[in-house]
Amino acid sequence: MFFVKTLEERLPLHPSYFGAQSQQYIIDQLYQRNEGKNTGTMMIIAIIDVLDVSEPKIMPGTGMAMYDISYRAIIWRPFRGEVVDGLVSSVVSGGFFVDVGGLSCFVSRQMIPAQLKYTVEGSTPSFTDNVDQTIERGTQVRLRIKGMRSEMGQMYAIGSIKEDYLGFVYTLWPNYWDLLTFDFRPLMQ
Amino acid sequence: MSTANFLDQDFPDEEDDDFNPQPEIASDDEGDEKAVANGGDRNGSAQQSRSRSRVPDGDDDDVKDEVEAAVANDEAEEDADGEAEAPAGADEEGEDDEDDEDEEDEDEEDEGLPSRKRRRKQARRNQFIDVEAEVDEEEDEEPEEDDDMPGEEVHPDDLQELPPGADRDDRKHRELDRQRDARQQMDLEEEAARLKERYGRQNRAAGAGSAIVPQRLLLPTQDDPRIWRMRCKPGKEKEVILGLQLRTAERANSREPIRVLSAFERSKGASDPMAGMLYIEARRVDDVVAAMEGITNMFMSFKPFMVPVEEMPDLLKVTKDKQLEPGMYVRIKRGLYQGDLGQVDEVEANGAAVVVRLVPRLDYGLHEDVNAPTTVETLPNGQKRKRVMKVQGPRPPPRLFNESEAKKKHGRYLSKQGGLGNSSWLYQNKEYVDGYLLENFRSNALQTEDVNPTLEEVSRFASTGEDGGDNLDLRQLAATLKTASGNEFLPGDKVEIFRGEQKGVSGISVQVYAEVVKIKVDPGNGSLSGAVIEAPVKELRKLFRDGDHVKVIGGTSYREEVGMVVRTKGDSVTLLTDAEQKEITVFSKDLREATDSGGAAVDSKYDLFDLVQLDAATVGIVVRVDRESLRVLDQSGSARTLLPSNISNKIEKRRNAVATDRDGNEMKHDDMVKEFSGEQKTGRVLHLYRNFLFAQNRERVENTGVWVGRHSNVLVIAAKGGKTQGSGPDLTKMNPALKQNGGAAPMPPPQFRGRDRLIGKTVKIRTGPNKGMLGIVKDATAEEAKVELHAKNKIIPVKKDMLALVDPDTGKVVEGGLHALGMGRLPPAGGAGGMPGRTPAYAQGGRTPAYAMASGGRTPAYAAAGVGSGRTPTWKQDAGGRTPAYAGGQTAYGGGGYGGGTAYGGQTSYGGATSYGGASAWGGGGGQSTWNANSGGRTPAPAGSKTPAYAGGLEAPTPGFSAPTPGGYQDQPTPGGFRDTYKTPGSYQTPGGFPETPGPYSAETPGANDDGPRYD
Repeated sequence: MFFVKTLEERLPLHPSYFGAQSQQYIIDQLYQRNEGKNTGTMMIIAIIDVLDVSEPKIMPGTGMAMYDISYRAIIWRPFRGEVVDGLVSSVVSGGFFVDVGGLSCFVSRQMIPAQLKYTVEGSTPSFTDNVDQTIERGTQVRLRIKGMRSEMGQMYAIGSIKEDYLGFVYTLWPNYWDLLTFDFRPLMQ
Repeated sequence: MSTANFLDQDFPDEEDDDFNPQPEIASDDEGDEKAVANGGDRNGSAQQSRSRSRVPDGDDDDVKDEVEAAVANDEAEEDADGEAEAPAGADEEGEDDEDDEDEEDEDEEDEGLPSRKRRRKQARRNQFIDVEAEVDEEEDEEPEEDDDMPGEEVHPDDLQELPPGADRDDRKHRELDRQRDARQQMDLEEEAARLKERYGRQNRAAGAGSAIVPQRLLLPTQDDPRIWRMRCKPGKEKEVILGLQLRTAERANSREPIRVLSAFERSKGASDPMAGMLYIEARRVDDVVAAMEGITNMFMSFKPFMVPVEEMPDLLKVTKDKQLEPGMYVRIKRGLYQGDLGQVDEVEANGAAVVVRLVPRLDYGLHEDVNAPTTVETLPNGQKRKRVMKVQGPRPPPRLFNESEAKKKHGRYLSKQGGLGNSSWLYQNKEYVDGYLLENFRSNALQTEDVNPTLEEVSRFASTGEDGGDNLDLRQLAATLKTASGNEFLPGDKVEIFRGEQKGVSGISVQVYAEVVKIKVDPGNGSLSGAVIEAPVKELRKLFRDGDHVKVIGGTSYREEVGMVVRTKGDSVTLLTDAEQKEITVFSKDLREATDSGGAAVDSKYDLFDLVQLDAATVGIVVRVDRESLRVLDQSGSARTLLPSNISNKIEKRRNAVATDRDGNEMKHDDMVKEFSGEQKTGRVLHLYRNFLFAQNRERVENTGVWVGRHSNVLVIAAKGGKTQGSGPDLTKMNPALKQNGGAAPMPPPQFRGRDRLIGKTVKIRTGPNKGMLGIVKDATAEEAKVELHAKNKIIPVKKDMLALVDPDTGKVVEGGLHALGMGRLPPAGGAGGMPGRTPAYAQGGRTPAYAMASGGRTPAYAAAGVGSGRTPTWKQDAGGRTPAYAGGQTAYGGGGYGGGTAYGGQTSYGGATSYGGASAWGGGGGQSTWNANSGGRTPAPAGSKTPAYAGGLEAPTPGFSAPTPGGYQDQPTPGGFRDTYKTPGSYQTPGGFPETPGPYSAETPGANDDGPRYD
């Protein structure tokens, strides 16, 4: 789920950067460090604005200045039980992995409806019912997050598509991955 | 016939012992309904006649009765069963007598004529009377038998003679019989149910709520039979009891029946404290003694001991025995296989004998000695017997049976068993199936408790199931390790009550004591929500929901695995392991909720993804850590399972290891790489080792996603974190913009490469135990020199800073000489050297010719420099200055050669001096020799010494010159002093020096010329 959240960050600045541009340095640093950061429980998508940059304080001993910055950011945080859409990144015999933004989600075979069978055609493994649903790499799927594990800088979840309205999602681009990974360079020349 | 009627009419019968005509009438009433259809007239007479005939005390004289009685007897003789069969067989009777009569029967029924059938019906009725009133039977028996025989033979006549009323009578009887038949045929259960319905009421008081009688009310009281304990031979309890049972059956109908109500024993084997005890339930002790007297193995000398009433229930308490089941693990207590793990293959019905599967320990006759000494032994009966000394070899290691091994020496003991396709062998009278030994054991030779099989042992038995996975887990291990106790629950566990009244209630355990767990019930459980209730452990199981992060704590081979629950079904939970993305199924009791970040915390020396050294040439990465084994993927890409002891050591991860990929790009740990060819696997670099890299891709299944590749076969697709490298300056470090020199690293101190110049020099040891000793440096490293002492024939290592360079001729220490040597420079002119003559000599000796030469070669340059003008004053100056120069020059040079050093060796020149090379050129190796030469005499020196100096000088500096020219070179001459000195010697040398120089010079000229333009 997406939220606008006020966050705080404390950044140090080396004395050699002191000067009129100090604050700008710090704000640049903030953007660079935090946009796209995965904190383990949430992902900071973008910083909307910087609310406040505190007066810097010199840290005894190092001479570094510490800035406390509060800023607003759009974050994304997955929840257990949430239904999300994602892109299948790989299919293995025990299930398949789905990328839901920065969250890697595994859908185990136990959580795939029984009619979807694991098959390997050529070199592309897929789960398919041989009618209209085929889940292979690049397919868009809708799943429910069943459990999550987060480590610093990494999120990992397991999901289920064993429910009504979950699983294969019909899209304009049946295999979105192809689009993402399509090499346009030859066309541009 | 309705139930009510049926009961109404019948039961009074049973209650009253005497025959009661009343119900008969009633039943007739019912019968009448049918009878009416036939003819209402008959009713009255039928009733009369029947009622009469039924009454046992009725007319004895009545002919009919007599006849009937006779027939009844006859039939009673024919059918042993008597009554039971007779009524049912109403229609079949004819068959018994004669076939012909059947037809007649039918005729009778159709025509309504009197027939033998009627008589038979009377017989039936008679029989009925006969049974019910036995008393008559005896009296009538004899005379009637006589009558009977003729009666039967002549019956057609009799039948004819019978009065018409009898016919009707017969019909009535048949009606009655049919009813009785029907009644007989009614389902007994139905009947019982009806009985109960009607009479159950009477018992209700006693049996009321028998289902919920509290246990304590069922306990034995003083009025109940008592239990006596008797003793018998241990192990023979069952036999004794069977003997008693036999005896009871034998004497059941005798005058002295056994008055024992029950007998039992509770021993579980010879070692059991209950062995040799028998318990007999009886009213009186005499009954017990009488019953047991004379049974084999009974110890009658022990008086029967009456078990106290309050202890009686305990005697009958069922303690659940650990049942041996196929698949369980046991240990062998004795013999060759003592302590070995075995797997129960088969259990005989009584549980006493068990077939156990073992890994055989065989040596196949390896330690058998054909020529073993034999001892001759005289048996008591005078016979002599040869006995081969049994050689006790070492205990063979457990290995699967190998028939080819066995064939080598013991082919004669080996035979194949069974049919095709099974590898069952008989070897030395023991059976080997699939390599395992199947041996019979008595159950008391097996240890079934505390077996604690280790993974290693179990894996020997691990038969791979049809699905390819090891099936040893749940069923078998659980059978062995079944321990249900309170200690599997801890406060804070989520639990569920899965049976009992509160089935389905879930909560969190708050407190665990003994076998009871206090649970705080979760919301959503109705009125119980939030309450704290107690539940016995037996009714509880741990509750896990999909997605829970759990850790296996129980005793399966999956112990310590961590994963997420993907399915729960009753007691078993399927989880997906974090490490390998593999699904495993374990019991919920073996799981605990894991902390969020918990990895597999196995107390192994090696962690997951450690790089380990397998042997000198092989490294591998740990891809799985088990309790006792590790799975390692080695550099060739093959994975193997090893014991930690098979690993020689762990290779520490080098934090900043760098390698280059196929394209020459930098590759570090945690970079994303992609295989250039082959499968084009991607992954994050875990280790770089030699020219291998180990990378991991979580989405791959095998080897926990780890794969191994070569540096030259991968491409870096994203650096660590997938971020662009230049993400702004590091604000915690010095601002690079403010750093001097544009932030370039300060120049490292010059390092001399090549052969250490110190080698071959004479040095003096300045400090340390060998202080003051002289020696020659034989070898040198950056720090240390090996010095061959002059005094002793010994080479000792000495720190370089403890040495001082010594002039081999004078034996004087050359100050700073060592340092200068290290720098590749000439040792400074002897500050110590008070020799006046030397100073110029030195300066000139090394340089003058060179410079002079350079300029000499460069005639135009020289010209430009103004030979005349330039030199003359100098010359004069020099000449003029000489005398004082010697005195003063000394100062200038000595300190100043040093002072000159500013100009010369001065920092500036260094700074500019890319040109270290240049420096050496200047100093020129020759400098030194020049020195020597100088001191020795000039003439030879320049020739010999200069040439190398130049050679060196020109080679090296050439690049140097190009660079320094703008800075360094200009700097150098700047300090006037130098020019002066330079010129001075130049002039000085002119006279003597020149003649010597030409040789080398002519050779060098072109080189110098090349430099010429730049120089300018």
